[in-house]
Amino acid sequence: MSLLEAQREQTRARYPDEEGYVERDGVRVFYEVYGHGEPTVFLLPTWSIIHSRHWKMQIPYLARHFRVLTFDGRGNGKADRPSGIAAYTEHEFAEDSLAVMDATATESAILVGLSCGALWGTLLAANHPDRVQGAVLIGPAVPLAPGHPERNVHPFDERLDTDEGWAKYNRHYWLEHYEEFLEYFFGRMFSEPHSTKQIEDCVAWGLETDPTTLADSQDALELCGLESFEATCARVRCPVLVLHGDEDAIRPHAQGAALAEVTGGTLVTLEGSGHCPHARDPVKVNLLIRDFVESLERRTP
Amino acid sequence: MTTWTRGRSRRRRALFVSSPIGLGHAQRDVAIARELRELVPDLEIDWLAQHPVTRVLEEEGERVHPMSAELANESGHIESESAEHDLHCFQAWRRMDEILLANFMVFHDVAREENYDLWIGDEAWELDYYLHENPEEKRAAYVWLTDFVGWLPMPDGGEREAFLTADYNAEMIEHIARYPRVRDRAIYVGNADDVVADAFGPELPLIRDWTEEHFDFAGYVSGFDPAAFADREKLRAELGYRPGERVCIVTVGGSGVGGHLLRRVVDAFPEAKELVPELRMIVVAGPRIDPAAFPEADGLEVRAYVHNLYRHLAACDLAVVQGGLTTAMELTANRRPFLYFPLRHHFEQSFHVRHRLERYGAGRAMDFETATPAVIAQAIAEEIGREVDYKSVETDGAAKAAARIAELL
Repeated sequence: MSLLEAQREQTRARYPDEEGYVERDGVRVFYEVYGHGEPTVFLLPTWSIIHSRHWKMQIPYLARHFRVLTFDGRGNGKADRPSGIAAYTEHEFAEDSLAVMDATATESAILVGLSCGALWGTLLAANHPDRVQGAVLIGPAVPLAPGHPERNVHPFDERLDTDEGWAKYNRHYWLEHYEEFLEYFFGRMFSEPHSTKQIEDCVAWGLETDPTTLADSQDALELCGLESFEATCARVRCPVLVLHGDEDAIRPHAQGAALAEVTGGTLVTLEGSGHCPHARDPVKVNLLIRDFVESLERRTP
Repeated sequence: MTTWTRGRSRRRRALFVSSPIGLGHAQRDVAIARELRELVPDLEIDWLAQHPVTRVLEEEGERVHPMSAELANESGHIESESAEHDLHCFQAWRRMDEILLANFMVFHDVAREENYDLWIGDEAWELDYYLHENPEEKRAAYVWLTDFVGWLPMPDGGEREAFLTADYNAEMIEHIARYPRVRDRAIYVGNADDVVADAFGPELPLIRDWTEEHFDFAGYVSGFDPAAFADREKLRAELGYRPGERVCIVTVGGSGVGGHLLRRVVDAFPEAKELVPELRMIVVAGPRIDPAAFPEADGLEVRAYVHNLYRHLAACDLAVVQGGLTTAMELTANRRPFLYFPLRHHFEQSFHVRHRLERYGAGRAMDFETATPAVIAQAIAEEIGREVDYKSVETDGAAKAAARIAELL
């Protein structure tokens, strides 16, 4: 496939009914609204390595049953790429999310977040209970259990004399071999066999941003663990559904299990699944999200 | 308010999911449905289908399920992936993953709400793939129909494409091995010899061996009976063909993909006319190509639309077509000489269809790259009006397919 073809967005199953930009402190993010009515399912951004198209398997289905809101978080897609670590903290992503809700007259929503997006979703649920009816947290990247040891061998900032395995998760390697890093990372993300299309999609989305921006957003992620996260989780009052693959090579299943426990949520373990079950097993994940949303509707008369 | 109907009080119902990629599926699926009703008279058939299949279904008075309106457009996507006589159909299909999943979810909603005894999917890729990925979602008997087995790489796709096609084939083989209960019937539209001899990929089985183990063979299923055209002179008179003239029909389907081939063939007309003075060329431009864009000449007609095109294809002295299976097999069944131009990068037309036509000894394969107007004119002169010795095409394919399906009802 030529580079041009790779960059051309493939035909969507459904196009947004409304779209636009929200600006905060000079940084714009791009949102899309699909469908109408209540309730709203809000598909959150995740780490800036990919943008909102990673929800492409969810949007058409959910939008036939609910109103769907999503946006490209800062650092990728149609959003701006501000420079500096401070622009990518969890606080900024949370505030962007609230700004998008305000701009689209979304009083409250059921949040769905992947990985870092699940962490931001947890923070929103804890700090803005009036705006969050429930949360579906997929492969959550939360500091409630240790990470995979193989990811903690090499420092991110130092130049390494190896690029074996997770040594590729390194600022210098990114600057010089960005595409190779993306291929490695997404190869780990989709640990399930026969995931070539999902990996190609993610690599192409990763190429829409650049290694410097990604390094800023990576450094900001390090800040996430500083606050006492367990105390935050304990403030979550809304219903929570955690989905976590037991073969998730990016974030251990133990993190999702711990998050379900401290939020009083339900854990669904996806046996044999990696870090992105919503892309690799979209039927099951779509049905779980729909059932969860409908269970909330039954709860609130 | 809801209603639940006791098992023995339910009517027999089937849901037919017919692929909109290529018009051929619609014709043959209607023929199979007709035969199925002969065998199971009280059977109600609903169709989950989209344009252009729905056009055929509406003409035939079939019931299109209202949820069909929710299906995302597949043929539009395929067209958007096409270029000058070029469709990389494997990549175009991969790039349709979002649409396929969305359409599976529409199917899932229908299947969850309504009780069907049987689902039939004619190259309904989304149905077959996601049922194997989510076997707990199967709640009716299920029949898979196809006219080709195996993704094949195009030579210029290099190692990467060879790897990808093998990977998709391997996944399919693993699906069938792990869940043989998902497909209650797998019916190949054709005969075992129509299946290509290639392997699915390195260290994977031979496609024909594997297909013989896992499929029933219905023979070819056409949507019409060639006996209806047995009196060709009468048919030619009805269509307004004058005695002595030699009619060449040029048609490339309804999409815009064929415009370049049409232009190339029209450019060949003057030279062809010199070689064949009785030549009358009727070019079917279709809805997407403006007939006014072509030059005028004595013996050359460019029309936006030709009513009952299939009758012309049965009566003509030569046809010039793309490499799609349905039109080529229609010409084969009617024993007409034809030139066919497989779309570039279209593995199905380049390998599967071509293999089948060679087995029937039908048609002359042309290469769009090398076929200059002079080459085309020469081929027209050589082929037009030629007596053919094609292997005959069976006419009981729909009945055979229906008989295998009816066993499940």
